[in-house]
Amino acid sequence: MELRSLQQQFLYHLLGESTGLEKVIESTPMMSARDRLNIYANGYRMRLKEALQTDFDKLHSYLGDAQFDALMNRYIDTHPSHTTSLRYFSIALAEMLAQESPYSEHIELAELAKIEQAFANSFDAGNAACLSLEHFASIPEQAWPSLQLTMQPSLQIIACYSNAFAIWKALSAGEPPPEAQHRDEVEYWVVWRRPDLISHYRPLAFAEYTALKSMSEGDSFAELCEQLLDLFSETDTPIKAIGFLQSWVQEDMLAGLDYDGINAT
Amino acid sequence: MTRPFLGFGLGLRTDHYQHIIEHQPPIDWFEILSENYMVPGGKPLANLDRIRQDYPMVMHGVSMSIGSTDPLNTRYLDKLKALIERVEPAWVSDHLCWTTVDHINSHDLLPLPYNEAVIKHIVDRIQAVQDYIGREILIENLSSYVTYHSSEMSEWQFVNEIARRSGCFLLVDINNIFVSANNHHFDPRDYINGIDPDRVMQFHLAGHSYHGEMIIDTHDHPVCESVWDLYQYALERYGAVSTMIERDDNIPPFAELHEELTRAETIARRTLTAEQLAINSGRMMQGVA
Ligand SMILES: [Fe+2]
Repeated sequence: MELRSLQQQFLYHLLGESTGLEKVIESTPMMSARDRLNIYANGYRMRLKEALQTDFDKLHSYLGDAQFDALMNRYIDTHPSHTTSLRYFSIALAEMLAQESPYSEHIELAELAKIEQAFANSFDAGNAACLSLEHFASIPEQAWPSLQLTMQPSLQIIACYSNAFAIWKALSAGEPPPEAQHRDEVEYWVVWRRPDLISHYRPLAFAEYTALKSMSEGDSFAELCEQLLDLFSETDTPIKAIGFLQSWVQEDMLAGLDYDGINAT
Repeated sequence: MTRPFLGFGLGLRTDHYQHIIEHQPPIDWFEILSENYMVPGGKPLANLDRIRQDYPMVMHGVSMSIGSTDPLNTRYLDKLKALIERVEPAWVSDHLCWTTVDHINSHDLLPLPYNEAVIKHIVDRIQAVQDYIGREILIENLSSYVTYHSSEMSEWQFVNEIARRSGCFLLVDINNIFVSANNHHFDPRDYINGIDPDRVMQFHLAGHSYHGEMIIDTHDHPVCESVWDLYQYALERYGAVSTMIERDDNIPPFAELHEELTRAETIARRTLTAEQLAINSGRMMQGVA
């Protein structure tokens, strides 16, 4: 048999399909070809499960062993790995939970997975220096409307329609989680890493969410103020916007700024 | 050639970062798992850079898939190159196996048939990798649980021939030889005798577990007595080779692994002369001949 078809059969055997692979493997009195191959098939599934258990330990404790195991099997069966690192194997789990029944009927599951994933991403996201208030002091007044900001690469905004964050917090503290609640109103959270390399999180009120989302998508300060005008009076809007900027600076969320072609990082 | 000899090292594991940074234990070098540091930033790279300041390092990967029939993964090799630049390791290793086909990753080190066609295929790929990253690599022998009917030679003939033709070096895992010898009924000493000493650059020592009569290479136990004996036998044949203990699961406190490593050093001191065991970084393994 050609090496290529041998490798394909071996891989599809690991994925649980029946192949003619047994015929090309020696059986010995000590162990049959089938049992020898099953060492690999079991090892394959076990390794992927270990990766999922590591990445989603809160979701695991929330669902319990049996339910989580069923979830892992479903994910492994439908998501062969295309990554060279197990760190990224679980990347589509939150999406599967959001889209596939019965999980999609319990929105807190996908949201819990998203929260765990956000912390993992924040943990090893790219490094960037933090902006300080001095960076802003030197911006000429006429340049402010064109001001654009770059967020820390670790910064992520999470939208929750359930109390998934409360569930996550309880599980992190080793406490029994509150009962799941689904809401019509969305709740926003931000997760990011500070220079001490620790990940932080806090809720975002709607106005601040609007501002942070706008700036993280590359809007200018003028465009940001435009959006806040739906929420505040004309006099209050710039004061509110500057207030948000100040707290983002103090909380080490910003990595760079840009105005009239000048940038500082 | 003068073989570089780094002394006695350990695999760098996250459980031990804190201990290593705080106490700077007297370990000659660390082996890192390359894929763990192929991330954009944060703690993994910060700890790596911090520990690198105090210790020589070598890099060990699992995703090169040198035996695969998929095209070489240049995206992976680019990440590997970037990490090599960051770490400046004494050398870089991966396994004599395949992990991926049809771009699906098994995340396992899967065995190859031992025959001439496969040797040619792998020699070409090793040479392509060595050209791409600009340095010679080490390849490690596996533990395996299957034998293919299409194998035409022993594993050691296969390994040795690939090293000879490709110009790569060998990371000889003594435990893997022991495990495969048990699972495929050969004498592990024949294996050690069949390898050209000049190609041997590093040893792995590790533990395993039994699964009926089969031995599974689990790296979750201390090194067993038979593997220590085989280690001494290998030293007698190859001379001083940089040695490390590989523990991936059930990871004990650092001191316990350090003690195991001290045993390796004691065996080496008993077997070889002080002159043989003088640490030297050898010629730089850069630039493929
Ligand atoms: Fe090894």
